[in-house]
Amino acid sequence: MREILVQNIDIFLIIVYLLSIFIFGLLFKEYVKSTEDYFLAGRALPWWVIGMSIIGTNIGAYDYVGAAGGAYRFGIAQANYEWLGAIPAMIISALVIVPYYWKNKVYTVPEFLGKRYKESVRVIEAVIYGVFLIMLLGIFFWASGIMLHTYVGWSIGFSIVLTAIVVGVYTISGGLAAVAITDVVQLGIMFVGGFAVAAVGFIKAGGVFNFFKALKAAHPQHLNLFLPLNNPAYPWLGMILGLGLVLSPAWWCANQSIIQRALGAKTEWDAKAGMMFAAFPKTLIPILVVLPGFFALMFAPAGAIKNPDQALPWVVKNFLPPGLGGLVFVAFIAALHSSVDSTLNSAATLWTRDIYQKYIKKNASDSHYLIVGRVLTFAFIIFGVVFAPFTDKFPGIYVAMQTLLSFFQGPTLATLLLGVLWWRSTGWGGFWGLSIGVLSAIGLSVLKVNFLYVAWWSFVISLIVNVVVSYLTPPEPPEKLRGLVYGYLEKDENFKAAVERRING
Amino acid sequence: MDEFLRNIPLYWAKIIAGSLYVLLAIWVITRPGEYIYRGAENRKKWRDLRLWAIFLIGIQIILYIIF
Repeated sequence: MREILVQNIDIFLIIVYLLSIFIFGLLFKEYVKSTEDYFLAGRALPWWVIGMSIIGTNIGAYDYVGAAGGAYRFGIAQANYEWLGAIPAMIISALVIVPYYWKNKVYTVPEFLGKRYKESVRVIEAVIYGVFLIMLLGIFFWASGIMLHTYVGWSIGFSIVLTAIVVGVYTISGGLAAVAITDVVQLGIMFVGGFAVAAVGFIKAGGVFNFFKALKAAHPQHLNLFLPLNNPAYPWLGMILGLGLVLSPAWWCANQSIIQRALGAKTEWDAKAGMMFAAFPKTLIPILVVLPGFFALMFAPAGAIKNPDQALPWVVKNFLPPGLGGLVFVAFIAALHSSVDSTLNSAATLWTRDIYQKYIKKNASDSHYLIVGRVLTFAFIIFGVVFAPFTDKFPGIYVAMQTLLSFFQGPTLATLLLGVLWWRSTGWGGFWGLSIGVLSAIGLSVLKVNFLYVAWWSFVISLIVNVVVSYLTPPEPPEKLRGLVYGYLEKDENFKAAVERRING
Repeated sequence: MDEFLRNIPLYWAKIIAGSLYVLLAIWVITRPGEYIYRGAENRKKWRDLRLWAIFLIGIQIILYIIF
């Protein structure tokens, strides 16, 4: 029979959290009267809620489980995903990309690309991201199943269904406002739990200095942010080119579940500041996700951890006293929930706005689209639960997500950057650049190229195709580009008037 | 080519990453104040997003020097 180490106080904390977040999320139901309320929180979010919600969304079970596993296996190089692979892109997104989304009053990233290029670009992006977000739900659900199964002993299937029910109910009823505010609470819990693990680990090791000294002696490579080129997962050139210059900017500039909070900002400054503020907690995330991997590496007996993804559950299960273990476990559940609810809400927004409203039923009432958004949210929960077991086919949860991302992150970034920064990029340039870029990424993946290089080369190919096709096709009229291209006609009075009109609705 | 890349010392990775951070900081500093504060309730110093960015970049450079 499976050994279950949770104590009554742990169970109590878990139940208190689940009930509290469930009821808290439901409180926002009465504020949802329109699709703008449901998908964009009525465009009333302040910068600090946006920032905390972005990180709550970004840090999920895959980070806790997968990144701790990566740190266990490869060391602090895993932290590149939180530092080089995030902070610069977040700054650029805040100061360059987010203001253009916000000023154009769009609901989704594909909607913006449709305005800038053509409708076919919007459809491709919407379908790709829509499918990706639904698959991501499966990964999140599977991670929760592993976590609950390892720590509490519940079956994986039951754990997945429980997660779906708790998150699904408040996401369907309260929309983005419920998602964003619960994210804030969940992020607070995550940090309390993460710091608790760090404190216990360092105390056991006799202090921070002693711990890192012992780690360096036993595993010297584990304290190098950059690893040699022959490293199978994190070669340094791939980390800089693939992660730093492509995957990360694509994630922070074009990922619907990240950007959607900024689209719900009450002012342009709040949108920019929200994204920038998110970079502060992001800097601290390795304390939450990398240190547990190190603790497992140093304290777990030989043979106790057979799969790196078991590193974090091992720490929680064997490392912490009753009560504290429950608190930390609640933090992991909170991290998971904050990602699942955001992904659900964003997937529903994409499919409702970019597909259903555009191609299936035009000109219906706002209340009709609100119902459709809620029905789709429910449908995606069901799909995510069913898809979850298939994510086990991949060698590691984190790698699975990055592999999926690498198929389209590079082409998406190339299309977005050229669209925002280069006035000469045309609709057909965007279409062919995006299409051939995605196909090249899939081709490179089939050839077993490391996903970091897949991202880089598909970005380069997409960029080249976009530029070549744009020069072969007539330029877009200035009227179409106003308010959509960085620095384009900034001093033009007509441009300023066009922006003002968009801001004022 | 592979042989050439494999022979590059690892500290060059740090130099490249550090250079990217410095370039980013220079770009941030040169953004006009009017653009940075657009939409803000007031122009108090703490709302200057350039300062936020420089602080973040400074921390990053320190981390990449240490590790």
